[in-house]
Amino acid sequence: MEILAFASFVVLVIAWLVAPSRGNVIAVTHKTEERKAA
Amino acid sequence: MPTTISAGDTAWLLMSAALVMLMTPALGFFYGGLVRRKNVLATIMHSFFILCLISVQWVLWGYTLAFGPDKGGIIGGLDWLTLKGVGQEPGPYAATVPHQAFMVFQMMFAVITPALITGAFAERKRFKAFVIFTLLWATFVYDPIAHWVWGGGWLGQLGALDFAGGTVVHITSGVSALVAALVLGRRVGYGREALEPHDATMTVLGASLLWFGWFGFNAGSAITAGGLAANAFVVTNTAAAMAALTWMTVSWLHKGAPSVLGAAAGAVAGLVAITPASGYVDVSASILIGLGAGIFCYTAIQLTKRLRVDDALDVFGVHGVGGAWGAIATGIFATVAVNGAAKDGLLAGNPGQLGIQAIAVGASILYSAVMTFVILKLIDVFVGLRVPESEEVLGLDASQHREAAYQI
Repeated sequence: MEILAFASFVVLVIAWLVAPSRGNVIAVTHKTEERKAA
Repeated sequence: MPTTISAGDTAWLLMSAALVMLMTPALGFFYGGLVRRKNVLATIMHSFFILCLISVQWVLWGYTLAFGPDKGGIIGGLDWLTLKGVGQEPGPYAATVPHQAFMVFQMMFAVITPALITGAFAERKRFKAFVIFTLLWATFVYDPIAHWVWGGGWLGQLGALDFAGGTVVHITSGVSALVAALVLGRRVGYGREALEPHDATMTVLGASLLWFGWFGFNAGSAITAGGLAANAFVVTNTAAAMAALTWMTVSWLHKGAPSVLGAAAGAVAGLVAITPASGYVDVSASILIGLGAGIFCYTAIQLTKRLRVDDALDVFGVHGVGGAWGAIATGIFATVAVNGAAKDGLLAGNPGQLGIQAIAVGASILYSAVMTFVILKLIDVFVGLRVPESEEVLGLDASQHREAAYQI
């Protein structure tokens, strides 16, 4: 079980290395919400 | 059984009760940040009001129904109505602390459980319906299931392990939240407009305070201030951290960015999952429980969204699924090396414990789902569950409370 615990953490570290460095930019502001409400 | 009060145990239990008390307003902030600004006060009020309501319900009749002398394995007797007989001497559940200290510690669990459900019906439930629902749900769902598991009832007699409330608190609230979301229906604008959190910082603050309070929830459930409490403290922190890392990573890979709200929700999911196991598992198991919580809870939320179920603040995904995973994981990872008074799980050579845990999970799901449905339908007939559409669009802060959260 100790090996599994170590392995799961290592998998996360590897995932951070391969994960995209920049996501899609989604601009959500109160202003847009207020415009919708209006 | 010794009946000498331990100053250390009593101090720890009272401190833990205070820590768990803090979790309910913390939940208000966690949920409050996730709703739109026109509903933040109403959302925080749900948690704050429940703290007051159940504090009174518990001392009048809740405690005796949950922990009073057993009646057929189903419910506690009325011997301790209005806390008659619950005094400064130790009671039957804890030999080294005053009965009142044990009672008030358990009160805080009874308080936070219905507050968890409020995330499912946020932004659309009539306040009067919410009040009646909470009172009925605490009496007819929480109190009996707490008795089944902790008060000498049939699940406890069967040997179900639930250290701090995976079945009693999280499965019951998570499943009831799903039922509530289905019965109330979707919010106005659901699927057509972005129903975005109005203050992510408030939510992260709430999650952090929940994490802090959870040390009382889990480590306090040892009742004694000793090694078992220390183990529960360590595995609680580890599972929360691991689940936060996992959730953030999965959402990063799935949606392209490491979500702050995802990390906060992941931490809560990890805290939920370790809750039933915290007195029975070691640190390695807590890492795997946290890992599972991050993956399973995140996946469950994606699924409920795909099915267009408007569980507004993801209560079922976090608490229902996280609680069920924690209860099952207890049957897998439990070991008497951590708690000599408990039982081994599957990996320690006792596969039967897994079956018992599955029975506890199934019974909690079935009972809480049916009872919640009945309660909601009754309230809908006599009071009405939802606010009118015009009031929902206006916002619950104005329509239900005639107040505004912000003047800026």
